[in-house]
Amino acid sequence: MSDLSLPVPARALSPLGFYQRRRWFLVAMAAPALAYILVVAVWPILQGMYFSLFDYNLLKPHRTKFVGLQNYLEVFDTPANRAAFVNTVIFTAAAVTIELVLGFGLALALWRDSRFNRIALALVLVPVTITPLVVGLIWRALLLPDFGLLGYWLAHWGLSDPRGLLADPHSALATLIAIDVWEWTPMMALILLAGLKSLPSDILEASRTDGATGWQRVRLIVLPLMLPAVLLALMIRSVDAFRVFDSVYVTTGGGPGNSTNTLMLQAVKEGLQFFDIGAASTLGNVTLLCIALIAGGLIAVIRRADRRANG
Amino acid sequence: MIASDRRSIRMERLVVSLAIVLALVPFLWLAATAYKPGRDIFAIPPTLLFSPTLENFRKVLTLFDVPALLINSLKIAGTSALLSLLVGVPAGYALARARSRWAMGLAYFFMAIRMVPPAATLIPFYLMMRDIGLLGQWISVALINTTLNAAFVTWMMFSYFRSLPKELEEAAMTDGCTQFGAFFKIALPAVRPGIIAAVMFCILFSWNDFLFAMFLTRLEDKPISVALLSAYGTKDITWGTLGALAHFSTLPIVVIVLGLNRYFVQGLTRGIH
Repeated sequence: MSDLSLPVPARALSPLGFYQRRRWFLVAMAAPALAYILVVAVWPILQGMYFSLFDYNLLKPHRTKFVGLQNYLEVFDTPANRAAFVNTVIFTAAAVTIELVLGFGLALALWRDSRFNRIALALVLVPVTITPLVVGLIWRALLLPDFGLLGYWLAHWGLSDPRGLLADPHSALATLIAIDVWEWTPMMALILLAGLKSLPSDILEASRTDGATGWQRVRLIVLPLMLPAVLLALMIRSVDAFRVFDSVYVTTGGGPGNSTNTLMLQAVKEGLQFFDIGAASTLGNVTLLCIALIAGGLIAVIRRADRRANG
Repeated sequence: MIASDRRSIRMERLVVSLAIVLALVPFLWLAATAYKPGRDIFAIPPTLLFSPTLENFRKVLTLFDVPALLINSLKIAGTSALLSLLVGVPAGYALARARSRWAMGLAYFFMAIRMVPPAATLIPFYLMMRDIGLLGQWISVALINTTLNAAFVTWMMFSYFRSLPKELEEAAMTDGCTQFGAFFKIALPAVRPGIIAAVMFCILFSWNDFLFAMFLTRLEDKPISVALLSAYGTKDITWGTLGALAHFSTLPIVVIVLGLNRYFVQGLTRGIH
């Protein structure tokens, strides 16, 4: 409709009509970005899919042979890969759930528009901006059983293994989840806060004058209205948590044993330490597939929620 | 009513203050180790009181070529930011102004690229860089960072341009302004906060990246993030020197983000929705 209402420019007297020239202009503006992504991102992804069909090791290139889907059928035959998959799923589910609960509480506390809250938001976001590698170092140092601010007392009071939380296979994964919660809860709060601020104020005002208590307002009015924002926050954080690498690499390196191994870590190990390109590509694609399923599933739910909210 | 309001404000402040303390203390503790003399770092039990020293900074500056590391980080982050904006801003504009279903689909495609796990691209990209002779050089890290950054910039600017009324550009074009002129002189200045946020995010992502940099760069092209990792676990390196080195890698970003927080928060919100 609005196409027709566009005023025809005075200079539109070229052989091509204005709308056609407009279309070509917009295509030309989008083309460099698209070309870049196709060459530097999509092409490597396709290559990775191709590599995953081969028994291909850079150290034994002459033994390369096509194996079809065998890499995928055998991907969970090794304990390291199995542990990586299970740990990644547990890590993502636990970290994101805790971040959602804490993040929602923090977002509610920051909801009121005040100078205090604006400054607080900036300070609370500091963990999000610190290099993830440094986040790992910080917690590694804090949790050292011999002289870490936290680790010393935990070991002293017998609350952790004498070697520290990160060296104990029973507590290492839980500790990594806690580190992720520390790093990313502020981000979760920020996404939810943006959702809170866009809620229709008349409904909230009406519920106040109707005498609903604070908790009733949150449970009966805010939560249902916030459902799309919550799902969006869940999607963004799940996709990120599923690709966790930096903090694990620097704190435990996947150990002790395989107790904190993750899919990303295992893929990187296979590829760039053992040079097994076939195995690494298979793991990379399994990770990609899982992320696509998480994102696709949540987007479908978001759409349904949106449709219900908008009638 | 008013009493209950005051009570809930007090509750909120309590929660927020607790969150600030929890967010900052671990970070400040590592930062503080940089100013501790060796014996205080290893004090048992750990102590919060110490006589500050700059010894660790002196040691870091002799052990590492810190300026070179910072320049490498800056080269990677700057190049990636420039490239990402150069391709991403016009693309975001085009997708926001095009009125076809294709444009929306393409915008989602860019958002999806942002979610691809590095594990799926790193190895083919590594081999690609090896084949064209860029492996080891900082430019290879800038190139792969740009895929994620350009995708994010496109999506975020798409959101900024879409909320910008197009009537002003149409009026200008009716008055004889070229299409590029309408984009460059009218639309672009109107989304200045978005541009600032886009630059910040590109720099943040590439400065903080270490997986790509670790495997793609040789020794003299290493950014500061990778130097931190290699410093960790080396014999001469204590937690004090590590804390000092961490200053150089985190402070620039933390200062930028705190200083331009308004743009950061707005851009993050726009980039997500």
